[in-house]
Amino acid sequence: MPLWFARGIRRGIVTTHYPARPERSAAGLPTPPAFRAASIDAALADRLTAVCPSQALHRDGAALIFDVGRCTACGRCQEAAPWAVTPSGEFELAATSRAHLVKQIRLAAGEDR
Amino acid sequence: MSAGPGGREPDPAAVSGAAAPPAPGGDQQETAVRLRQRIQRQFGRSLHIRTLDTGSCAVCEQEIRLLAAPHYDLHRLGFFFTPAPRHADLLMVTGPMIRAFDVAVRKTYQAMPGPKLVVATGACALGGIYRADAFVHGSADAVLPVDVWIPGCPPSPLALLQGLLVAVDRLSEKVAGLGFTAGPPGVPAAGHAAPAEGTSR
Repeated sequence: MPLWFARGIRRGIVTTHYPARPERSAAGLPTPPAFRAASIDAALADRLTAVCPSQALHRDGAALIFDVGRCTACGRCQEAAPWAVTPSGEFELAATSRAHLVKQIRLAAGEDR
Repeated sequence: MSAGPGGREPDPAAVSGAAAPPAPGGDQQETAVRLRQRIQRQFGRSLHIRTLDTGSCAVCEQEIRLLAAPHYDLHRLGFFFTPAPRHADLLMVTGPMIRAFDVAVRKTYQAMPGPKLVVATGACALGGIYRADAFVHGSADAVLPVDVWIPGCPPSPLALLQGLLVAVDRLSEKVAGLGFTAGPPGVPAAGHAAPAEGTSR
């Protein structure tokens, strides 16, 4: 916000150039998590599933299923396992098919229990 | 397209009041793709948007309203909000589709002239917060034929802008190619470190 203000005062233009050029203020947006599959085992996957308030996560055998459409980017999974979950920094999430938003994360340390 | 959570709910064809078209063959498929491209080219120059709140907490509406603010200024891209569904090309649906809104949703969708687009906006409309029960359908695609899904709680105005540009095919969809996996600490994940590529026309 202060950046926009300064730019607006300097040049008289406050409007973003977004689709033509990347928008820098997007870096501050809350974004869905990215998962470090190597450090997630089945037990941690179940813990992350339990901590998610919007049913965006569930475990299917040795894979963690992440539904980006259901994610509210609340950050609870990052709080629960900061070594394994990081913000993806991705805000351009529009999809033309609902199935494109369901991601399968193969757990390297995950065995079926 | 995933099946809506509401199993006993009307299918999209019932809402639009039209019979389901026969499965297209190769030639028809090609014609459909050409027609779709032509429609999107027309919409890309001027698109009128009607918003429909089906029980959202109104934060999605706040973000949609921000699109008209000087910083985002969606009018520069040829998008406009219209107060009447009869003037609208695109329906932006927010909220978990409460059942009390069934009549309003049907009337709004039917009042829009074709061809029309439906954008499900926010985690509620994508089935995130509420499960289908006696009060809500749980997601927009249980009731309406959704063309573009915009995740987020709420989606930021930039995410909404990208969703609208994807709906009119001025930006290509990005999320299908992302894995949401991160590398080892210190190494940025592939596909997440690169800055957003604009392909606007």
